[in-house]
Amino acid sequence: MTTPHVSPRLVALGAAAVLTVGAGACGSGEDEITLGLITKQEENPFFVTMREVAEDVADENDVNLLTAAGKSDVDNASQVRALAEMTRDGAEGIMIVPARSRAIVPAIETAREAGVIVVALDTPTQPRSAVEALYATNNRRAGNLIGRYAKAKAEEDGIEPRIAMLDLAPGISVGELRHEGFLTGFGIDDGDPEIVGSAYAQGDEDNARATMARLLDEDPGINIVYTINEPTAFGAIDALKEAGRDMDDVIIVSIDGSCDAIKNGVRTGEIDATSQQYPENMAREGLEAVAEAVRGGPSPSGFLDTGVELITADPVEGVESEDEAFGVRNCWGD
Amino acid sequence: MEAAAPAVRPEPRKARLVYPKLAVPFILLILCFAAWGVAANLTDVIVGVFRSIFDMSNAQSALVQFAYYGAYFTLAIPAAFINRRFGYKVGVLAGLGLAAVGGLLFLPASEALVYGFFLAALFVLAAGMSILETSANPFVIAMGPEESATQRLNLAQAFNPVGANIGVLLGAVLILPELTSEAEKTILSPAELRQSQEDDLALVLGPYLGIACVLILIWLLIAFRKMETPPEAKHEEEGASRSGALGRLWHNRHYRYGVAAQFFNVGAQVCAWTFTILYAQDIVGVPAEDSGWYLQASLLLFLVARFVMTWLLGIFRPTRLLLIMASLGVGFCLVAMFSLDMVGLIAVVLISLSLSLMFPTIYGVALQGLGEDTKFGAAGLVMAILGGALMPLVQGLLMDELDAAKAFAVPGICLAFVACYALFDLRTRRGGGGELVAEGAH
Repeated sequence: MTTPHVSPRLVALGAAAVLTVGAGACGSGEDEITLGLITKQEENPFFVTMREVAEDVADENDVNLLTAAGKSDVDNASQVRALAEMTRDGAEGIMIVPARSRAIVPAIETAREAGVIVVALDTPTQPRSAVEALYATNNRRAGNLIGRYAKAKAEEDGIEPRIAMLDLAPGISVGELRHEGFLTGFGIDDGDPEIVGSAYAQGDEDNARATMARLLDEDPGINIVYTINEPTAFGAIDALKEAGRDMDDVIIVSIDGSCDAIKNGVRTGEIDATSQQYPENMAREGLEAVAEAVRGGPSPSGFLDTGVELITADPVEGVESEDEAFGVRNCWGD
Repeated sequence: MEAAAPAVRPEPRKARLVYPKLAVPFILLILCFAAWGVAANLTDVIVGVFRSIFDMSNAQSALVQFAYYGAYFTLAIPAAFINRRFGYKVGVLAGLGLAAVGGLLFLPASEALVYGFFLAALFVLAAGMSILETSANPFVIAMGPEESATQRLNLAQAFNPVGANIGVLLGAVLILPELTSEAEKTILSPAELRQSQEDDLALVLGPYLGIACVLILIWLLIAFRKMETPPEAKHEEEGASRSGALGRLWHNRHYRYGVAAQFFNVGAQVCAWTFTILYAQDIVGVPAEDSGWYLQASLLLFLVARFVMTWLLGIFRPTRLLLIMASLGVGFCLVAMFSLDMVGLIAVVLISLSLSLMFPTIYGVALQGLGEDTKFGAAGLVMAILGGALMPLVQGLLMDELDAAKAFAVPGICLAFVACYALFDLRTRRGGGGELVAEGAH
């Protein structure tokens, strides 16, 4: 029996190829570290996207990722407990989306005293210095984009602005920044005659429907509606339709960029424009920065803008925007 | 209808598949059939990839298909000339060599980061593939006894869809999941953005360099192997350049309309496959890393449906089945246009079901009864591949003006033309009889 002759050179080349592929398959080769991600809740697709992206990025960066979430948007107790448990379980860095910006600070301080690097995602702590850094949407810019769009669209359509503002709630910085941004973008101030109605809808669709109906009772001529988020926009749209308004005569602008709103609001033209924010950028940038710091790199600091784009199916001249296809490709949720 | 090859004479024993000493060359040629399948269908993925990397319009990105199928069209006649003048082996080597050069040209193109360079590289690659395809088909036929020619050609052509699926798989696994997301690009600095372009283009570079390496390997194996086949000129000169053929063909409505139907069929096919991934991403919101699987499903469906259609063609009159499937295809396009969700995406995938029988059926019906003009007529039908270069551009323009869903009106209209051709054939009596003609590789 003869043995087939195999060139040693060929064997070496083959082995090198296998080793290269094998090394590539085993990740980046760095020591594994443990990090934590705490979101507000698991129902909201915004936070689901954030967690899923964080898990993918963790895999790519040899990070053992611990995750936890509260039971609602205001569940501080669960977040305090998660911070303590993750610190005990050896997390060297934690990313948190604070449910209660002020109430969470003592628990963060305890974790930081134990040597844990803590950064905030999406929502700032109060004070901001309670964490190393904040990775979030520039909410003022998000509001500014839809303000500029609404003004240009009103001019294009030749309508006299009669604006209704459906805000979040008193004293919440996200809502205040978006509100201010819209006014700046539109070129008006609080109290100007263009604003014919303003109310807090709590970011909730049902509240928004009732609030918008009330504002329409007060002024049936409302033709521009600013909404703090997309559930609010859908509530306002319902109220406008119930009032018999032709949606082509009303400009509705919003902020968020969920798949539901892009597909069922922007694409149909009922929401004229929305500022889309990117939870995937918050998760990826936050995790990579914290992992780098834990491995001896520079510590994250300050505010990192995670991006915002104006999405509309009806672009106007002078305001940069992306189309609804871009919005669908980059939206979050189903 | 693919079974409608010339009648086989009874033989005392089964004819061998290939002549002695040609088994290895035959296997090498089979690799060529797979290679052009890989290259052709990788471009279906690349259209969306370039749109993302270069941040350009759909019409601009569809230039990828214009370059690819435009090269196929342009090189059809020169390829035939090379074969007649120098023989099949030289034709195969010229095709392999040119295609390999095209693959290697991706290297300087990715250094320059200029879209036009990639289009030039694709053009060269496709030009080589065109010559390769034109040479390999008759070469395979000449590699064995005439009695087993159809079997040999079918076996070789069976590897074309295998290659096509590998092409899409390469894109779905190696490129799409690794691309920089558009959301991430919104926060990159200009320098970081350029780096991300380079990284993403490196993903494209890999598969094309791989294709080039495989082609060079096949080239070497064929170039340094002695291959003797029976005189080739005899095969080619039969019926070639007969005077008056063009006039006769032009006055044959079944043929004339058949060329138009083939133009629209190839247009519909390339449109459907080019824009499946973009429909999934733009309309349904399927993540880039998952979107390639819908194109993969389309090609697998196309492959399976071809076998089913071959069986059905034995039951139904070919043009009746063509009419049914083309009408079904129009229906799928309408669903894709107006159902902006997963149902619409499934309809896009199902278009491949209706496409599966079209090329061979139109080919056979259009050439039926052409007699001595068959070979000249076949060239016209192959050149109808121009539809694959032009129609995606139209769909891309419509996508830019409307959206990815409404733009599916383009393959819908193309398939409606095919349905009209089938109806024309069903309602019109032919001047002569004649058998259906076996098809080429598409």
